[in-house]
Amino acid sequence: MKDKVNMWTGVAILIAFVLMAVALYGALVFSPEEKQLGNTIRILYVHVPSAWIALVAFGIVSLSSVLFLWKRNLKWDTLARSSAEVGLIFTSLALISGSIWARSFWGWWWTWDPRLTSTLILWLIYLAYLMVRSYATEESRGARYAAVVAIIGFVDVPIIYLTTRLWNLAHPPPTVARGALDPIFVWVLMVSLAAFTLLYIILLTRTVEQKNLQREIDQLRQSLK
Amino acid sequence: MSEYLGKVGAIIWKDILSELRTKDIVTSVLVFTVLVLVIFSFAFEPESEVIRLLSGGILWVAFTFAGMLGLSRSMAVETDKGSLQGLLLCPVDRDVIFMGKMAASLLFMLLVEAAAMPIFLILFNLPVFLPSLALVALLATIGFASIGTIFSTIAANTKAREIMLPILFIPVAVPVIIAAVKATEVIILGEPLSTARSWLLIIAAFDAIFLVLSAFLFEFAVEE
Amino acid sequence: MENLGYLFAIYTIVWAVLFGYVWVLLLRQKQLRRELESLKEALRAKK
Repeated sequence: MKDKVNMWTGVAILIAFVLMAVALYGALVFSPEEKQLGNTIRILYVHVPSAWIALVAFGIVSLSSVLFLWKRNLKWDTLARSSAEVGLIFTSLALISGSIWARSFWGWWWTWDPRLTSTLILWLIYLAYLMVRSYATEESRGARYAAVVAIIGFVDVPIIYLTTRLWNLAHPPPTVARGALDPIFVWVLMVSLAAFTLLYIILLTRTVEQKNLQREIDQLRQSLK
Repeated sequence: MSEYLGKVGAIIWKDILSELRTKDIVTSVLVFTVLVLVIFSFAFEPESEVIRLLSGGILWVAFTFAGMLGLSRSMAVETDKGSLQGLLLCPVDRDVIFMGKMAASLLFMLLVEAAAMPIFLILFNLPVFLPSLALVALLATIGFASIGTIFSTIAANTKAREIMLPILFIPVAVPVIIAAVKATEVIILGEPLSTARSWLLIIAAFDAIFLVLSAFLFEFAVEE
Repeated sequence: MENLGYLFAIYTIVWAVLFGYVWVLLLRQKQLRRELESLKEALRAKK
């Protein structure tokens, strides 16, 4: 059983590796320059997938948090927590790449663009989620608190997006080649998205497995006492 | 329905009574708010035109921090003396307790804001009579009190409660803060209130959503 | 050409972070396995 699991993980890692290599080649070599965006389009090939994973990972965190509060099965809590850890990494990447992209294309590091702002707040909510766990007096309390934070955060993010949208109606909206993108760019982006998604799934399952291993160790240690 | 309100009222009354005896929250938070406003008035020239544009932001920075201070004090009192346990043993639903605590915090915050508002208007040379600001303050404070009550309950049970409440509260409160600042700017610049309509609607929607959601989630924050 | 500098920076950061995270995961995995083995050893010795 264990060998079989490991074999599938190995296959997944191999596919992810190949996909990442293809995505990298596509982003840096294969993709031509875009008319408006120029070379900065190459930044978007890592920025858009990171932001996508940031959202997906938080969706998983909130969904498993709901399931945890409902079913009280620790495996949902483990899933939520692992997804939050991996998600924080990708949200950080999305923020860094977004900020550098803004600098290279618009000429400033930061602007209260709705997506950038919502991503920043999402990052802070991830942080709150993980911190409330580590500061809770007991592990079981921390799990419950974190689940509450995740659910409130999940409802909050769309409202933040809406608010910053409204705020920016006065400013010209950031025209990032909406819709009218050449198919070639879309294809490179799709490969990149697939590579990042697979990478996320692999990292998530690895982290979940480590958490389970950790719990096993803790239990063994308890029984030794 | 009236029975429900009676139970909520009893909890509010309990908080008012203990506040009347200790004067723990309103006075200290009011002093804090005034100090923040005074520091800002030192930092900027009160005669300049810029201050009119900035004052909305200043007011809400002060109110956000004051709100968090009041919330964490009100919850710290409950957990330190173990009176939250007693409250939880009452034969009422968890959401009744939530509504009571929330309404009491709301009341204290509004009191502080009502007292701090004239000081703010004078310090920053603004028109002294701006009744529509009261509407903005009321709406935004309902939102603050809703998420603040559940987050301060959580924070009170963690190791670093002073730092935990802002970490939980500020990211979630961002929509209210932005909308309140924008609406305040509109009012201070003397534009008609209808210009601020969409901001007020956002705060009202936030209030409704998070009042219900926090009341529902409260039982998970207090269960033992 | 300034743009290429930013491009270089982003790809360096993204790959460094991703590899760094994978590396941390691998290290933790190794450590956990070792801990589990030693615990099992101790449990067997106790019996």
